[in-house]
Amino acid sequence: MSLGRFLVRRTLQGLLVVWGVITVVFFLRLLSPGDPVTFIAPLDASPELKERIAEDLGLNEPIYVQYVEYLGGLLQGDMGYSYQRGLSARSVIWARVPATVELAVAASVVAMVLSIPLGVVAATRRHGPADYGATLFSLVGISTPNFWLGIMLILVMSVQFDLFPTSQRQVGFLESWAHLVRVDFGDPSISFPLRVGSFADSLLTWLQHITLPAITLGTYFTALITRLTRSGMLDELGKEYVTAARAKGLPETLVRYRHALRNTLIPIITVLGLQLGTLIGGAVITEEVFAWPGLGSLLIDAINARDWPLIQASLIVIGVSFVVINIAVDAVYGYLNPQVGYE
Amino acid sequence: MISYNPHDMADTEWFDRRTFLKHSSAAGASLATLSMAGCIGGDGDGDDDGDDGGDDDGTDGDGGDTGGGEPDVPDGVDESAYWMDMEEPEGREGYFHRANLGAHQEAPWIFLNRQYSNYGKAASLDWEPRSDELIWAYPMSPSGSSLTVTQGQMDSGLDPHDHRETPTDNIVTQAYDRLLMRTPDDEIEGALAEDWERLEAGHVRFHIREGVTFHNGDELTPDDVAFSINRVIDPDVGGLASPQNDQLAGVTDAEVVDGERAVDVFSDGINPVIFSLFASYCNIVQRDWIESRNSDEINRTMNGTGAFQLDSYESDVAVTFEAFDDHWRGAPEFDTLEFRAASEDSTRVNQLIQGETDVIVNVPPQEVSRVQSESSTELAPVPSTRIIYNGMRHDVEPFDDPLFRRAMNHAIDLETIVEDTLQGFADQTAQPTLEGFAGYNEDLDPYPYDPDLAEELVEASGYAGADIELHTPVGRYLKDLEIAQATAGYIDDLDNVSASVNQREFGTLAGELTDGDITTSPHWYLIGWGNAVFDASQTVIPLLTSDGALTSWENEEFDRLVEEAQSLPGSQ
Repeated sequence: MSLGRFLVRRTLQGLLVVWGVITVVFFLRLLSPGDPVTFIAPLDASPELKERIAEDLGLNEPIYVQYVEYLGGLLQGDMGYSYQRGLSARSVIWARVPATVELAVAASVVAMVLSIPLGVVAATRRHGPADYGATLFSLVGISTPNFWLGIMLILVMSVQFDLFPTSQRQVGFLESWAHLVRVDFGDPSISFPLRVGSFADSLLTWLQHITLPAITLGTYFTALITRLTRSGMLDELGKEYVTAARAKGLPETLVRYRHALRNTLIPIITVLGLQLGTLIGGAVITEEVFAWPGLGSLLIDAINARDWPLIQASLIVIGVSFVVINIAVDAVYGYLNPQVGYE
Repeated sequence: MISYNPHDMADTEWFDRRTFLKHSSAAGASLATLSMAGCIGGDGDGDDDGDDGGDDDGTDGDGGDTGGGEPDVPDGVDESAYWMDMEEPEGREGYFHRANLGAHQEAPWIFLNRQYSNYGKAASLDWEPRSDELIWAYPMSPSGSSLTVTQGQMDSGLDPHDHRETPTDNIVTQAYDRLLMRTPDDEIEGALAEDWERLEAGHVRFHIREGVTFHNGDELTPDDVAFSINRVIDPDVGGLASPQNDQLAGVTDAEVVDGERAVDVFSDGINPVIFSLFASYCNIVQRDWIESRNSDEINRTMNGTGAFQLDSYESDVAVTFEAFDDHWRGAPEFDTLEFRAASEDSTRVNQLIQGETDVIVNVPPQEVSRVQSESSTELAPVPSTRIIYNGMRHDVEPFDDPLFRRAMNHAIDLETIVEDTLQGFADQTAQPTLEGFAGYNEDLDPYPYDPDLAEELVEASGYAGADIELHTPVGRYLKDLEIAQATAGYIDDLDNVSASVNQREFGTLAGELTDGDITTSPHWYLIGWGNAVFDASQTVIPLLTSDGALTSWENEEFDRLVEEAQSLPGSQ
């Protein structure tokens, strides 16, 4: 099967998954305790006011009518109206997506840059100090809770040594580049007020703010991939094709990085994809500690406020992210190892 | 001062005479025990009391809480100490004093604490926090030209009439003025209204200030003011059913006065607190501006008459204002104001210590020492307008007996809860109305901690062996779970009562309390109530009158006192 057909087939499957997510999430609200009106209305609201609010929100319609209307709205890009915020759910989500993607990608970059070399060194110098060091690091990294690491990094790197800001996302990555390329998205929700001076200042500010959250979020990830790389490399280095390559006189560097590491990358890419999907909506603790305005904390806020349109919209975006990332990971398999194919 | 000493026979008569005897048949043995302990009975004659009290209790029907009938007063009892035996009070505040006394003596709640708002601020910032929880930036004097405020959460949109939360109010009130405001001393002062008067019952007039302009340069008109009020109270005006509808309780209409720069506001009944309402609520918007925009735009942009005008808005991230030089009070002392949010307590504290922000909200007790120990930061605590209490349903056992409810109040060491659990950042309460509010009864002290008396009262109530469960939200109020655990712990320490805590999700608990059906409410629950109007009525009417939206109690005399109070004009 060609890559094109593979992508079309997986996209159609993905759409089915997304529809399933939408449906399950929509009907889950029937099982959840509490009434959205309770959150919106004041504690001593009259029954008339509550009824009026319910009517305004369309909560008095039969559930199947609400479902069909919701699906129809989604097809037109309308993800509903956040009744807690008085804004369209789409614009609220859009405002969070850049921060979420930045953090997830930055954490992944931190993880890959550190973990793959560490894993390779540990595997090629097995039972040496480098191996023990890498193993110890990965053990500590996996065992360290995010919230503790984040708070410690803030206390040491920010409060004690004043190297980084404590928290917040003062400027976005795209906002930095907007200094160079002014883009008008035509939607005020994704406009970028140029609060920070020049391009260089802006990018530096962004880097300063994202470093600690990226390290916090990436540490577990780094440790996990270090272990995966080490065990994968050890496995590959013991195989016959490696022995054959060495027997042919290929340089050891080429054997390790051109052949063994490339085959090791397949499980790593799988984990990477799954983790990246998790990071899109699951970096709640890191977002809270660093006051990073991402999707995870938005989802928690929405759940606490019973803001169902926002909950649904967040879950749909997270679901779509998972689907897209998984399709991308599957596509990369074929590139890394043509034997896998696009079946 | 009516300092209720439970071991003083003269002082205790007000409660034991009416209520002990109700149980004279059901709890005869308990009563005997209690009488022998010397805690009740002005003359020590339980039989006499029983006979005397029979008529009273007969009128109660459901447990002595309805307050009907003229009580007989046994010999030797200080008539003036019992709220139902006193002479008719005078004036609106007098009626509320009496109602608060009644609530104290009948104990429909376990009276807990007045919550504090603990702000952290840069030491260089000249600012006194307000008890109404509004962070109003105009009077602040930062050392530089900008000021940053970090709250626990951001706004829920910028429409000043489409929210109920303090964080949003703090943001929108920088740009949208009100008709009246409160001074730091909680007095009412003019804002967009330069004068105000009560013309007759249910009819007041606001004279609108001249020379006030909106941020878009248009002049404020009385029509804008009338529209703003009607947008809050009337779902058919301004395109939304405002959740602030009840904040202007009783207000029915606002009309422009012909030929005058004034607005008439009409109410159902006399509405004694109407000026207090407008000092706390109802931001003024421009009619044309609102009517020409959809909800999404109104929630993203701002056009008020406030001292700060919107510079940029990033939903959930930051709201930045710049000084409005044409403000009617004069330009603010600084140029830029920014609101940000960090929900994690330690994150806010770290920001303050690092000088990344000037004001933070809700410094938790465990972070207080960090803020105080830094030379660049200060703690700024202020008693808030929120009371935390335990409601006890009057219609179910064992809480149908005032004796048992009073026992619960005696069982807890409130002083220790305030000092240890809340690290001193709270005040003990003895009545539903907070100190400084109109109607506050200064003569009442908190129930003293006396577990022995509590056990005796439980015995006397006939509910020894009761097993009760306290429903509490978690994380809704400062240390709510810890307060609930301490409360239940003290009560569980009594020999004759078992108590436990049930942690509840706030939305579900609130739904049960507000559904208009008392039978769906938990029998015993912890909840908080904020009252930014500084008037007893806004607490006791919803929480303690028979028809209150969140009531747990029913008492005819209490209802009558409140009704009388509400028929009289207020002092403000």
